[in-house]
Amino acid sequence: MHQMIEAETLTKQYGTVTAVDGISLSIVRGELFGLLGPNGSGKTTMIRMLTGQVRPTSGSARVMGLDVVEDPIRVRELVGIIPEQETPPSFLTAEEYLHFVARIRGLDRIDARCDHWFDLLEFQDKRDVLCKDLSRGTRQKLMFAQAFLHEPCLVLIDEPLINLDPIMQRKVKDFLRGYTSKGGTVFLSTHILDIAEEICDRIGIIHNGRLLHAGRVDDLTGSGRHLEPFFLDLVRGDVGA
Amino acid sequence: MLVPDLFLAMMKEEWRIHSTVFWGFWFALFPVMIVVFAFFGSLTLPFFSDAVPYTVAALLAQIFFLLAGAMVGSFGLMGREFMNRRFGQASLIAYVSRSLPISERRIFATFLMKDTIYYILLYVLPFTVGFAAATPFISIDPGYIILAFASLALAFLIGLSAVCFLSTLYAHSVRLLAATLVVLALALFHAGTVVFPPYSFFLDPGLEPLALSLLFILIPAAISVLFVTVDYPDQVKRFKNSLDSLAERLSPLGSEHFIAKDALDLLRSEGGAGKVVFSFLLPVGLIWLCLQILIQFVPGIDPLMIFAVLLGVISSTIYNWLTEFDSFSSYAFLPVEVSGMIDAKLKSYGILSLLPVAVLVFAAAATGGAAAPFIPALAVLISVSAYTLAVTVYLTGLHPNVMLYHAGVFARYVLATSPVLLLIIFASIFDPLYALGSLLLVPAAAFLLSRSRRGWQTWEISGY
Repeated sequence: MHQMIEAETLTKQYGTVTAVDGISLSIVRGELFGLLGPNGSGKTTMIRMLTGQVRPTSGSARVMGLDVVEDPIRVRELVGIIPEQETPPSFLTAEEYLHFVARIRGLDRIDARCDHWFDLLEFQDKRDVLCKDLSRGTRQKLMFAQAFLHEPCLVLIDEPLINLDPIMQRKVKDFLRGYTSKGGTVFLSTHILDIAEEICDRIGIIHNGRLLHAGRVDDLTGSGRHLEPFFLDLVRGDVGA
Repeated sequence: MLVPDLFLAMMKEEWRIHSTVFWGFWFALFPVMIVVFAFFGSLTLPFFSDAVPYTVAALLAQIFFLLAGAMVGSFGLMGREFMNRRFGQASLIAYVSRSLPISERRIFATFLMKDTIYYILLYVLPFTVGFAAATPFISIDPGYIILAFASLALAFLIGLSAVCFLSTLYAHSVRLLAATLVVLALALFHAGTVVFPPYSFFLDPGLEPLALSLLFILIPAAISVLFVTVDYPDQVKRFKNSLDSLAERLSPLGSEHFIAKDALDLLRSEGGAGKVVFSFLLPVGLIWLCLQILIQFVPGIDPLMIFAVLLGVISSTIYNWLTEFDSFSSYAFLPVEVSGMIDAKLKSYGILSLLPVAVLVFAAAATGGAAAPFIPALAVLISVSAYTLAVTVYLTGLHPNVMLYHAGVFARYVLATSPVLLLIIFASIFDPLYALGSLLLVPAAAFLLSRSRRGWQTWEISGY
């Protein structure tokens, strides 16, 4: 099995707050891994550490064989990232933003790549609209497109479907399943449990920065359990502990 | 919601926005710092009283607060851009006109009242307190304290309401704004010597200058409120792809896509043209006027040289425009380094620096085109601009608009720049050619920028 992500006791502290507390996990090629947790549980910090956007306080992580602290730029060259909170620049149009990202990544066939994503995510009619004037859903599509523009082998997505309508959610879910079936790897974080139960191969449950559980979704559903009660029991149990 | 409630809510909101964005405790120290600077600045007045009489110092203070008012007014207040920002997603209370039965006029009027009280408390009052604390040591009649406060507040409000007025015109029509500026310039030209009303009030307190000052405040403010226009952000703007063609043209510079993006940000933000007028040409024009007054009292100074120093300082604020629309967190998920972003911003700055150079050429021509001091003045402009920019980048990285309000950072900025600037000014008084020594600031700037690139490289997104 080819390891795409390997984290060893990864920890991040902000002052006295421990956002991520000694998490170890590994994700292999072709896997769709979902990191689940309530708001503020450390999901976003985990993604930022795995992509070299923030440095771990302790522990280590390798992404596609690269140390995220030693080689963060190379990591971000190789992977695609869809952050939850960032939006595209206000005064570029949707098309200009994709061209901007393509130029940063030094890509060729920029027009063809952009056309593909405008068609796939059905927002051709918005390509000349300033990003500040786009709806949240269209901005999310744009952020989705920029992450896949360079055809990466690994994509890390923070809350993938939160602003999309049900039709587009379906389309994105199908796309992600298709992407992993062709060898792509997805690490997504979400607090929407239905998404994880439907599309993830494996999940991790994080609460207060600690990984409470990691396992296959099949194992859970095969034993007749659903993710929601399992998640709630685990998190409430952690609160009570 | 009643106006007093709205007003109080806006005051709270303004404080919370500032204290949240600008590090709470450190922002609270900002007025304290103004007190300290005003106190020590006032203590030095007797030492320079031969060269700069108290009345001239008072005039300079008035012009400074006029500019401060204009800057508060122009901070985001640039026609439609201002309305979008103030009434858009960034502003919470001012946005209620869309969901509650409160007119935009009432909101804007309350907003102006809020800015008046808030910034007088933040800027004018601390300055007056510092001055008041110094009066026992410099033999100035304490009666001037109240007079100083009143006249400085009037000067500040004239600046604020003038920019509101001009930006309202701009929001309606750029041509209307241009025509008004031409009419005002012609009126000033024909009027000959005009005494600034708050200054007249300071020199000779009476009803007439007070009433005139109030008219200069209330009429523009009333027009701004009556004709307020709100361009809500749901007006969709479409543009053809200009990034690629711009980037192709800029490709010899490297980082061309970033520079092209900066250009599009400036052009499309609608503050673009407004920024040049309100944030650059207006203060620069006022400084030029101020220098024309100053040279009547201080023989021996070269106005072009002093102008070049001040122009260099103001030029460095172009960097604030360039970073206004960018946060590195918007790029942190891409293969981009902070140092690369800083380099790109410096290149954009280099291009925009042609504007102050053009202003200096224009000013030199206005002085009769004396060629001898022009070369040293140009050297001063370039050196001061490079050095103050380097200090800004060193202290604030890609976040000058936020971090310069951090009292500690601002104090370091002032300490790093003001002695150097004073030295250049004094050197140029002895001989304009001595000002060529300012070129030593260029290697200092290069050193600071190289330290900045390394220092800010480790910057990372805060919050979790």
